[in-house]
Amino acid sequence: MTAAATGIGSSPRRRDGAELLTGRATFLDDHRPEGMLHAVVVRSEVAHGRIRSIDTTAAESAPGVALVLTGEQAARHAGPVPYFIDPAARGGNRADLRCLAVGKVTHAGQPVAAVVARTRHEAHDAADLVRVDYEVLPHVLDAEAALAQDAPRLYEDWPGNVVMHNRYGTGDPDARLAEADTVVSGEIRIARTTTAPMEPRGYLASWHGDTLTVHASCQNPHQLRWMLATTLGVDEGRIRIVTAKVGGSFGLKMQGHPEETLVALLSRLAGAPVKWVEDRREALLAGAREQTHRFRVGAMADGRIVALVDEIVADIGALTAQAGWAMPNMSATTLPSGYAIPDCRIELDIVVTNKPPLAAARGFGKDAAHFVMERAVDLVARDLGLDPAEVRRRNFVPSDAFPYRTSTGLNIDSGDFEGLLDKTLDAVDHPGVRRRQAELRERGRYLGVGLGFELTPESSDSPGTFVSGFDTTTVRMSVTGMVTVLTGVTSPGGGNDTGIAQIVAAELGVPLAWVELVQGDTDRCPNGFGNFSGRSMVVGGGSATLAARDVRAKLLAVAARLLDTDDVELRDGVATGGGRELPVPEVARALLTRAFAIGDIEPVLESTRAYKPGNIDHVPDEFGRIQPYPTYSSSLHAAVVDVDAETGKVTLVDYVMAHDCGTMINPSLVEGQARGAVTMGLGSALSERLRFDADGRLATDRFKSYLLPRAGDVPLLRMVHQVTPSPFTMHGNKGAGEAGVGGAQAAVANAVEDALAPLGVTVRGVPLTPPAVLALIDEARKGSS
Amino acid sequence: MSTAPTFIRPADLDGVTAALSDGDALIVGGGTMVVPELTHGRIRPSALVDLGRAGLAGVTTAAGTTVVGAMTTYTELEHSAVPLLATMAHGITGGPQIRHRGTVGGSASYANPSSDVPACLVALDARLLLAWAGGVREVAAADFFLGAFRTVREPDEVLAAITVPDVTTFGYVKFKLVEGSWPIVTAATVVRADSLRVVLGGAAPVPAAVTLDLPSAGTADPAWRDHVRTAVTEGIEIAGGPWDDVLAPGEYRARIAPVIAARSVARALDEESR
Amino acid sequence: MTEIRLTVNGVEHAVDVDPRTLLVHAIREQAGLTGTHVGCLTGDCGACTVVVDGRTTKSCSVLAHSADGARVETVESLADGDDLHPVQRAFWDEFAFQCGFCLPGMLLTARELLESTPDPDDEEILRALNGNLCRCTGYNTIVAAVRRAAQEPA
Repeated sequence: MTAAATGIGSSPRRRDGAELLTGRATFLDDHRPEGMLHAVVVRSEVAHGRIRSIDTTAAESAPGVALVLTGEQAARHAGPVPYFIDPAARGGNRADLRCLAVGKVTHAGQPVAAVVARTRHEAHDAADLVRVDYEVLPHVLDAEAALAQDAPRLYEDWPGNVVMHNRYGTGDPDARLAEADTVVSGEIRIARTTTAPMEPRGYLASWHGDTLTVHASCQNPHQLRWMLATTLGVDEGRIRIVTAKVGGSFGLKMQGHPEETLVALLSRLAGAPVKWVEDRREALLAGAREQTHRFRVGAMADGRIVALVDEIVADIGALTAQAGWAMPNMSATTLPSGYAIPDCRIELDIVVTNKPPLAAARGFGKDAAHFVMERAVDLVARDLGLDPAEVRRRNFVPSDAFPYRTSTGLNIDSGDFEGLLDKTLDAVDHPGVRRRQAELRERGRYLGVGLGFELTPESSDSPGTFVSGFDTTTVRMSVTGMVTVLTGVTSPGGGNDTGIAQIVAAELGVPLAWVELVQGDTDRCPNGFGNFSGRSMVVGGGSATLAARDVRAKLLAVAARLLDTDDVELRDGVATGGGRELPVPEVARALLTRAFAIGDIEPVLESTRAYKPGNIDHVPDEFGRIQPYPTYSSSLHAAVVDVDAETGKVTLVDYVMAHDCGTMINPSLVEGQARGAVTMGLGSALSERLRFDADGRLATDRFKSYLLPRAGDVPLLRMVHQVTPSPFTMHGNKGAGEAGVGGAQAAVANAVEDALAPLGVTVRGVPLTPPAVLALIDEARKGSS
Repeated sequence: MSTAPTFIRPADLDGVTAALSDGDALIVGGGTMVVPELTHGRIRPSALVDLGRAGLAGVTTAAGTTVVGAMTTYTELEHSAVPLLATMAHGITGGPQIRHRGTVGGSASYANPSSDVPACLVALDARLLLAWAGGVREVAAADFFLGAFRTVREPDEVLAAITVPDVTTFGYVKFKLVEGSWPIVTAATVVRADSLRVVLGGAAPVPAAVTLDLPSAGTADPAWRDHVRTAVTEGIEIAGGPWDDVLAPGEYRARIAPVIAARSVARALDEESR
Repeated sequence: MTEIRLTVNGVEHAVDVDPRTLLVHAIREQAGLTGTHVGCLTGDCGACTVVVDGRTTKSCSVLAHSADGARVETVESLADGDDLHPVQRAFWDEFAFQCGFCLPGMLLTARELLESTPDPDDEEILRALNGNLCRCTGYNTIVAAVRRAAQEPA
């Protein structure tokens, strides 16, 4: 690899490729310390009930069992799990959430007891012997039903089942609706899906005296340490969190799950290392999204949208300390996306039901805003007989209007949305698709094309929570010239470590191979916040840049003395100046071994820096709006689908994504993120859906019933890049981890509606499974007959 | 209190039937269906009888009749010349790993309404050879399947082999939601001199067999489609009514079953089909 | 517990396992080779793929006892020391993995395909990969990697 191929904007291969490809990488479940015991969690069989009693006697005397723990026992040793984002801090209702249920269960699958045994089989066998006696209470599985006055109450001290009600937006949308040439309305249901990383969650806790080490498949090691210190009452300095290789995450592995505290507690009580790895049925309990929107959009005859009113009912399942419950807030504030609609009103109810909680998920609620907004735009176009692309063009925030404050308060940093639209229409050959569509319709076949625009706020900050918009990195050069980068951001699989190494190598002018990355170890890395909200390259990359520049300045100063010139350049590991060359390792060795000879340069080749991007503003404006995101990626998606009107099956024929995340540090890594997010969106658009039986038990408990896209389901995703740098980040880069989910849902839904336009079909939600599509066709036929 | 079962891997069929004579044993063929069930504690047998060394794999053909050993894998079938079954095996879900391991006998014995195998065996008029310690008996495929996950096989019996008559003209269409789902409806068509035999899988708890007229005006002919709809609806009722599970409701299966049936006829008759 | 014999990557292991023990657990915990992953335990995701007597197999759906006497190859056997197999190199060059958890299944399945079908078309590649789930990449780069490996000398 030449130096030229590793700089910012190039795509060197993943630095951890060899260990992953050869099976040498160590994931959580690969750790097996001497004397380790296995934990199994006993979960509630009922959706809502009071725990009358738990009989653990048979389990305790089963072979190999070291410990059986109930909720009441656990509560003597561990406090409530602190919230990643506390609802009370946002004026909402909260509940004390424990690692094992105490007194009452609020969803099937909730942990009620735990068993620790020598082997996995023994732990499972004993767990089957734990008898829990429930007084079954009436349950509610649907958010709309949960809003009823007489609905079963999950948390008895709340006035209802609403965590919080919020209203967002400015202007006078009712007046604008009254003046509009047309008002279109719709109801959209986004079904419950899940993130389903290939590696489930897992934790391994070991105590040495009063010092705790936790290996975790987790995105946020520092927050996990803080949280365990709180729940267990242990000095934070006595806890070390190590996130080994993480096998995918997508938000699921942000901390706040009950098992984190539980496993640490089990290990303490058992006096041995304890490991718990969830099985796939447990992993599939975690929800990712579920909302209903009722919207009205006012538009003028030329397609200009003048008002948006949206009422959102978000079903978060039972309350969780994880960040998942808070996602619907972002559904509301991301509206009206990248469209210039000053008059908006978004009403949001975040509602609890007796289903498992939502866990944070790629998109973090923004996906729902994109899906709904893009459906609304298509409905306006349909109503007015206009081209959906033109309606978008007419309403986009223009390229010269940035930074642009939206009605809900977000301050969009930069973008060129029309540019994305042009690139997308060109790449998908929009006129060609229309021609083919007409030909196929003659033959009774249904081809359709749909667009979906996405504006993705990234790298969020929320004061007083575990969500932080800055991060910290140490860059250290050793006496041999090798570089160690220790950073607070983590990589659950996306490869930001390679991108950060590229930045550091470029700043220091050394080969990429000299740079070693350390992430996910609270004893080694500086304080940080891990991975979420597309933040890793923005704040991890930014802080690494600052720290590397400090080290670079020191190297230049030393080299200047050694080369006796002020004009020194660092490149490819060599300092050049005054017609002479000096390898960078010699510069480092000179400073660190001949510090007194060098003179008044402080002999340290190390810097720790934090990076705070611009554009974040937590002081509420006159409308009470805050601005928690520095930067906004944007993308435009086009899907071409073929719909089999006899079976309802949707086949993806083509897919284009024009993507703008500002400067790309490593374009191949960016594309990887985008392809993964789009594919997750395609799954939620067409096949993925968590279903529960009437008693609230998960019915889709394996990958034969919860249907992730497989290789044969996904067309070639054709990517086009546009680069509109952010003025508020170090390299002009924007987040690149989340864009794709909502855009894919919208593009597919709009394409299906377009394909079935001759039948008059109106799409009302996702997933568009074959039975759902046939039902839409039936509905349209009934409506027209 | 569950305890570890015993494990036995007999070296021949006699060993298998002897091991089964106590009852309550779980037969493990390729393992792709029953091993996950065992892992998740859904079945708790006292003994495991593995067929891997019992010599029950392989395909032999003589005098227009093919005998398929129960332990013949999908991969072996795929590369065999057994009509319909080779086509079916090629399209089995789960990747090559499952086709290398899953067996035709295992799938027949498991009798999942959503599996490909049962309806294909019925379409072929296959005969299933059941062995027990006291001897053997042969059962027509149409009589073998009693309901969802239920067959006439007694606990002390093992499905040893399947006899398949020679069939030359057939069509097979499988409808899945996406690559990873169980089949929702399958249709296997065997063309006879003056009629069509179509057997639907996934549509009902057991394979639904119907006899159809040849489409004189093509499979798109609305009158013939009406005939298919009527016949298939009746066939599904006889087979126990529409099968319903978390992937697709019964009414959906009933709705698309005639469509898939017509497509498999089109394929059997070599019409252009989608 | 009964003793069984497994030859894993050419090394014979005699291991004591409960009859319910899965092959994947015997490989990971008794033979100590953790490159093979557990993703679902239902035979659906393919992360546990190994080669048993020459054929790819989902080792979560095989009892360890059923593999008594078998010759097993895992992802650890693909490279020759530091010398990666062409399939591994192609996956690296094409960014055909992110978290890497699905890799054992993807790599071993791809190698098997290329051994039987040296120049596969896209349909053959997809049919081979359909038994392996990946949640990170969206599969396009994996397909590209298989195509690239097909073009490289073994």
